[in-house]
Formats: sequence, C-alpha cells, structure tokens
Amino acid sequence: MSVDSIPANREFAKQIGITFPVLSDFKRTVVKDYGVFNEEQGFGNRATFLIDKEGIIRHIDEGNVAIDPTTVVEACNVLQRKKASQ
Amino acid sequence: MYKRLLTSLMLLAVFGVAALAQQTAPPKTHLKVGDKAPDFTLRATDGKTYKLSDFKGQKNVVLAIYVLAFTGG
Repeated sequence: MSVDSIPANREFAKQIGITFPVLSDFKRTVVKDYGVFNEEQGFGNRATFLIDKEGIIRHIDEGNVAIDPTTVVEACNVLQRKKASQ
Repeated sequence: MYKRLLTSLMLLAVFGVAALAQQTAPPKTHLKVGDKAPDFTLRATDGKTYKLSDFKGQKNVVLAIYVLAFTGG
C-alpha cells in the first residue's frame, strides 16, 4: 500500500513484476490512522504491520528495517504455528 | 584557504551524519503490538475494494506500506 494513485501503483507494480493487488491510500487516511503519515513530505513512511485473524496487530516494522521482510515472515510463521498447535 | 576547506568538510560531515540519522531513525507510530488494527477500505490495482475487517476470522493480513511508487524499497 502507498499513497500513490491507482494508475501510478499499477504501472509501478507492472515494472517490478508484482502480481498481487496493491492498495492506494490516496486520501492519506490510512497512513494517518496507522501513525505513519509523514506530514513534511506528504506520504506514508515505510512500515509493515502484521494483523491476525482477530484484527489484532501482532508485529510492527518501521523505517528502514521494514525493507527486509525477514522479521515479519518469521512473525507470520509464529502465527501459523500457533494455529497448527491449537 | 586550508582552514576554510577543513571547516567546509567538517560541516559536510555533520550534515551527512544528521541526514543519515534522519534516514535510519524509525518514525514512531502510536500503535503497539496487541492493539486493534484500525479498519480501512481501500481500492487496489485490480479494481477491487478491500476492507480489512472482511478478513476477520478468515486470514492473517500483512499491511506493507511503502514510501512512493517508482522508488527503491
């Protein structure tokens, strides 16, 4: 997800070969709700949130650490393992 | 002349470190692990509209926010 328009995200996704849908928060409401809106620059700062099936946040990566998906993938695995053991 | 050059270099170093600090300092969200994720409804590149709460009881969701299209990372 980014604050770019849908056509911009569509072109960007095509260029880098993304096949999953990319969300557009053009009105900046979600980046504000999630506390990552950069007022000076007008965009959402880089962040990754893992939200479980009950809608609860289970993991947060912010800033440059969010470039590397390793920690959020591990958090996903933990959630999956919990589910499997239940 | 040499002194002026040295001052310029030092200033450059200070600004460089400040810029680096700004780049690496993570922005702080008010949200915490264990909080309820704010619901949202957004349109996507596939033309569909996605609502977070529609996934409740169905799937875990990874919400990845990137800075801007056509930029790295």
